[in-house]
Formats: sequence, C-alpha cells, structure tokens
Amino acid sequence: MARVGTMGLQIDGVAHSFGDRMALDGVSFQVVPGVLTGLLGPNGAGKTTLLRVLLGVLRADRGEIRFGGRRVTAADRRGWGYLPQERGLYSAMRAGDQVVYFGRLHGLAPREATRRARLLLEELGLAARWGERTDKLSGGMQQRLQLATALVHDPEVAVLDEPFNGLDPVAVASLSETLRRRSRDGRTVLFSSHQLDLVQDLCEDIVMVDRGRVVLEGSVGRLRASSGRRQLRLHVQPPHRDWLRAFPDVTVVSDEADELRLTLPLGTDPLVVLDAARTAGRVVDFGLDLPTLSQLFLNAADPDADINDPGANESRAS
Amino acid sequence: MGTWWQGTWLVAERALLENVRSRTVKVVTGVLLLLSVAAVTLPQVIGGGSTTYKLATVGTAPAGVKAALTAAAKSAELKVAYTTRADKASVRRAVRDGDATAGLVGTTLYTATDAGGTFPVLVAQTLVSQEASRRLSAAGLSPRQVADIQAIRPPRQVTVGRVDDAGRAGIGFAVGVVLYLAITFAGTAIATTVATEKSTRISEVLLAVLRPSQVLVGTVLAIGTVALAQLVVLAAPLAVAVRVTDAIGLPAVAGGDIAFAVAWFGLGFVLYAFAYAATASLVDKVTEVNSAIMPVTVALVLGYLLAVAVVMPDPGSGWSTAVSIFPLSAPLAMPIRWAAGTVPVYQLLVAMALTAATGGLLAWLGSSIYQRALLVTGRRVKLRDAITRP
Repeated sequence: MARVGTMGLQIDGVAHSFGDRMALDGVSFQVVPGVLTGLLGPNGAGKTTLLRVLLGVLRADRGEIRFGGRRVTAADRRGWGYLPQERGLYSAMRAGDQVVYFGRLHGLAPREATRRARLLLEELGLAARWGERTDKLSGGMQQRLQLATALVHDPEVAVLDEPFNGLDPVAVASLSETLRRRSRDGRTVLFSSHQLDLVQDLCEDIVMVDRGRVVLEGSVGRLRASSGRRQLRLHVQPPHRDWLRAFPDVTVVSDEADELRLTLPLGTDPLVVLDAARTAGRVVDFGLDLPTLSQLFLNAADPDADINDPGANESRAS
Repeated sequence: MGTWWQGTWLVAERALLENVRSRTVKVVTGVLLLLSVAAVTLPQVIGGGSTTYKLATVGTAPAGVKAALTAAAKSAELKVAYTTRADKASVRRAVRDGDATAGLVGTTLYTATDAGGTFPVLVAQTLVSQEASRRLSAAGLSPRQVADIQAIRPPRQVTVGRVDDAGRAGIGFAVGVVLYLAITFAGTAIATTVATEKSTRISEVLLAVLRPSQVLVGTVLAIGTVALAQLVVLAAPLAVAVRVTDAIGLPAVAGGDIAFAVAWFGLGFVLYAFAYAATASLVDKVTEVNSAIMPVTVALVLGYLLAVAVVMPDPGSGWSTAVSIFPLSAPLAMPIRWAAGTVPVYQLLVAMALTAATGGLLAWLGSSIYQRALLVTGRRVKLRDAITRP
C-alpha cells in the first residue's frame, strides 16, 4: 500500500508536556485522505492532547503538522471540522440555528450555511428537531447535533475526539456511516477512541498511542493478519493430540474436550494445520481468530502482556 | 483583518441575540425604564404641591399685599395661596404645624424653621415695597416715578463654591454612580457569559475556529452594547423631559456632560470588561464566578470610593488630579471632576489615553489568560499559572 507521500495529514515528531508531565513524546504518523483513521489508546494515552495540538487549541512544544506537504497554518485549521471530547453547545439556541451559526463561523454565507445545515440534519435524522431548543434534545441527539456543527462546512479535514462515546450500537452504526461517507468523498477523517474493539470494524487505518508514544500504526486488516498472534480453534474427535507433534512451533493455548486453541506463528499456514487435524480425526468445528485490537494494543504497549488469555479481550482496553 | 472582524462580529451578534431574548435582560431594562420615567415624572407630580406657598393671615389679607404678592410670585414661577385664621396664635400654630408656609400678622412675619425657601423673603420684599411706594406717593412723587423706583432689581446672584456650578457637579455625581453601576452589571454579565461558555465546554469548539481575542472582543462588544442600550433607556425619559417640557431645571451643559459620560463609559467598560472576562475564565463551575472576579470588583469599588471620597469634596486638589488620571479610577473620577469644571484639557487627554492604553493591555493579557485557562477543567485555575504557563 502506498501510504508514504506528501498527501494527507502528517504529524511529525509532535511533543507536548503539561509542566513535568510529558503528554506527547514525539508522535509521528500520517492520515491519508479517503482512509478512515482511528487514533486509539487507553484513557490518558495522550489522544485528546494530540487532537488539541492538531487543531491548534494547544501548542506543540516541538514537532510539526503538515497537510498536503505544507505546514499547517492557523487559517488552514479554521477550515477544519472539530468535535471535542467534551461536548459544547449553546443550550438555549435552537438546533438548526446552532448548526447555521457554526457554518457561518467557518465562513459560509448565511443562506449557504442554512442550506447545508438542513441537509446535514436530514442526514443525521434531526431534521424534525430544527426549531427545538438544544437543551430539550436527548443526549444522543445532542451528540449528533454536535457532529453536525463540526461537519456543516464540509471540511477538508475532520478531527473527532471520541465520537462514539456513550452511543448505543444503532447510533454507532449510523455515525460511522456518516464518517465513512465523508472519507469516501476524499476527506481526511481522524477520530479517537478508547473503546478499541468497538471501532475495530469501523476504521481502515489505526494509530495506537500509549503514554504519549505511537505503539502501533497501519491498516487494521494487515496488522491483525500479520500479528503472529492468530489463533486456530478446533473441535476434533477423537480428542487425542498426537498429530500436533508435527508442528513444534505451534503452541497450545487451551485444550478442552470440545475446543483446542492453538497459536500459530507467522510462518505457519493455518490450512496445513487444519489438514493434519482432519487426517487425525473428524473436525466437527473450526475457526481462525485474528487478535482483537485490544490484544494487539496490549501486545504492542507492553511486550510482557499475556494476550493469550482470551478473557482479556474487551475489558482490559476500556 | 476583514476575517477577524467577521468572526468577532458573529460572536457579538450571537451573544447580542441571546441577551435580547433573555428574560432577565428584558426585565432589568423594563425596570430601568420605569425607574427613569418615575424619576422624571414623580417630582413633577409631587412637586406641583410644593411650589405652592401658603400665607396665613388674621382675617383676609390686605388686597394691596395680595395683588403685589401674586404678581411677584408669578414672575418667580410659583403659586401663592391664602388662608385665614381667627387670631395671632392660630396663625403661629398654622405655620408651626406646616399648614402655612408663612404667617403675616401686622408687621410680624412668622416663618417655619425648616421650610419656606425664598417665599418669606418674597413676602417681606412685597411688604417693604408696598410701604415704600405708599411713603413715596405721600412725599409727592408721581405714580410714574414710584413705578420707576419699584422697577429696581437686585443684582444677579452667583453662588461661589468649590465647584464652578453645583448643578453640573450634581450631574457629575449622578454620572459617576450610573457608570459604576453600569460597569458592575455589564462586567458581571460578561463574567457569567465567559464562565458559562467554559463550563459548557463551548469555548473549546470556539477556540478551534476563532482566535481567543475574537471570542473575547465579540462577547465584550455584545454585552457592552446591551449595557449602553440600557444606559440610553435610562437617559431617554430625561432627555425627552428636557426637550418637551424643559421643566426639570437641568443645567444647559448637562447634555454635553452626558455625552462625555458615554465616552467614559466606553473607556471604563473596556478596561474592566477584559479584566472581568479573564478572571471569569479561571473558574471551573459557574457558581465560582463571584469569588473569581472579586479582585476586579474590589478594584472597581476602590476606584469608585476614591472618586466619591477624594474628588467629590475637593475636585481641585492634587489627590483629585491623581485619582482622576490613574487608569483604574479615572473612568469614575474624571467625569465627576470634569463636571465640577476644574480640569485642564491636557489632563483629560492624558487620563483618556492612559485608560485606553491600560484597556488595551488588559485586553491582551485577558486574551492570553483566557486561552490558557479555558482548557483547564476539573479545577479552578490559579491566576499565576494562567499567566506563567507556556
């Protein structure tokens, strides 16, 4: 994949500290237009600080941010869309006016801002709420409204801090569709999340940060497939394991009567292992499990982490 | 620069609309209007009685005295009523109890200790003039000669005091009070707006699109406009009364002094507005606003106290000059001193320039504190941290 180039958003060696506490320690990565990118990591990893630096709300101690090969200026940033982690809307303002207002702040003429606000609220399912006071909307609606204020001017670059926080699965699906659409249209979309497994299927590229550093970066599919932490799940009858001796590199994670779980190193073809099992007995059920993003994270963040424990999946990342 | 104003104007427009729609602002403006109308009309209504003076006599007052007194009263723009009593004691009692302004029995004029103003003098003058005319006529002067002598008027009276014109000085005092209140109210409104924007986290969205100075100046502009509009509402009935009835007795120079007050409101408002905004941005919750803006409030109160305690009693002193030029007290002290009529123009210009410069400095400092403090949530920000943190 041709990921290296001057296209898109480049973050280069960005560092920021709050007094003695180093929040970002030389973070570098790239966000390619058209590739929905997730900035992932546990709470306190430095995601919000990084996004604030990107938007110029905080100033980087060192490092540089470029877009399209050119150093980003304050004027460039004002054309971007930003959804901050801590939502902020004018509670007494009507929903539609709110979106129009932010459109105008981003330089749209009143009529154009109104037109786009209507389209966007339609897309986000809020068209009927145009005239309602913001504080009369439900939490989920306010969240969508906030997203509308960030996207109303159809920004070249959209930066969203924890957009899925507190949303139900239906809302997550609809919101991710909105983001994907922007990305397909060639926009540069970067969002952050601490719920690694929730966004596993949403983003194409990920950047994982931990304690202010990038620990993993690349396409989700490639990272998961090439992690060397693939697990083959087998239900073989009769349950004797003599055939396994032919694969000294394969380690047994768990061995129960109805499920044998194996970790396959990178050089081992899962199909060859499966064929060996089939010759030894009857394969009732099988499956290849790729590591979850949280497993990848734990592995990357702390090399000693025991990611072979299947119970570690969801809970440890959030 | 065009875009800077565009963004600033949008912020101001939004805040202005929110203020105009707010019930509190409507109520406060309505109350101000009522107060102002009352202040102008009530003295007229109540005062209608107080400009009528009553003279008590034993039996009917002499026709000659009555005619002369009524004529004199007419030229002095006051009304005279007459009341009769049975005897001297009753006249005395009427004057003592306030039933009459003065009492005339033979050659004795009874007056109350506390009231009456120029009326007893008027009665006395009338009596003297009557008696003088009678004696002149008796001495053989023609009625024309007598009339000629009676046309003699006393010299024009000019009161000389510490201030050039007491009426103007009164206006200066009123302007001082109104400026102080206006700046306090508007400053508190700004502080509340800033703290609300911070606590509802809107400020971060705004800061991603706008420069801190735009948010700050826009907010200050909007609330300043509302405050100025309320000042105008407060002053409107006064202005109408001066134009239509000309019956308030405002000195002729007051119009200029009021325009001057508006200019000082602008300067003083800018100076304090940014200080209010900067300190308000340090809070974490809106409820902490009052304690956060305390230093600014104290500075304003001290400035006002200095203006009242130092400048009012003696506008010409060296201390008054200092207080009226020092930027933090100048907006409150200079209008008072100016109305007293003792300010050289160069001092006025210096005071205005210093106040404007300090306002600019505070706007810059305020923007910088504002930007740093807005992103720190979950705790109250210390002023020192907001200034020194990189």
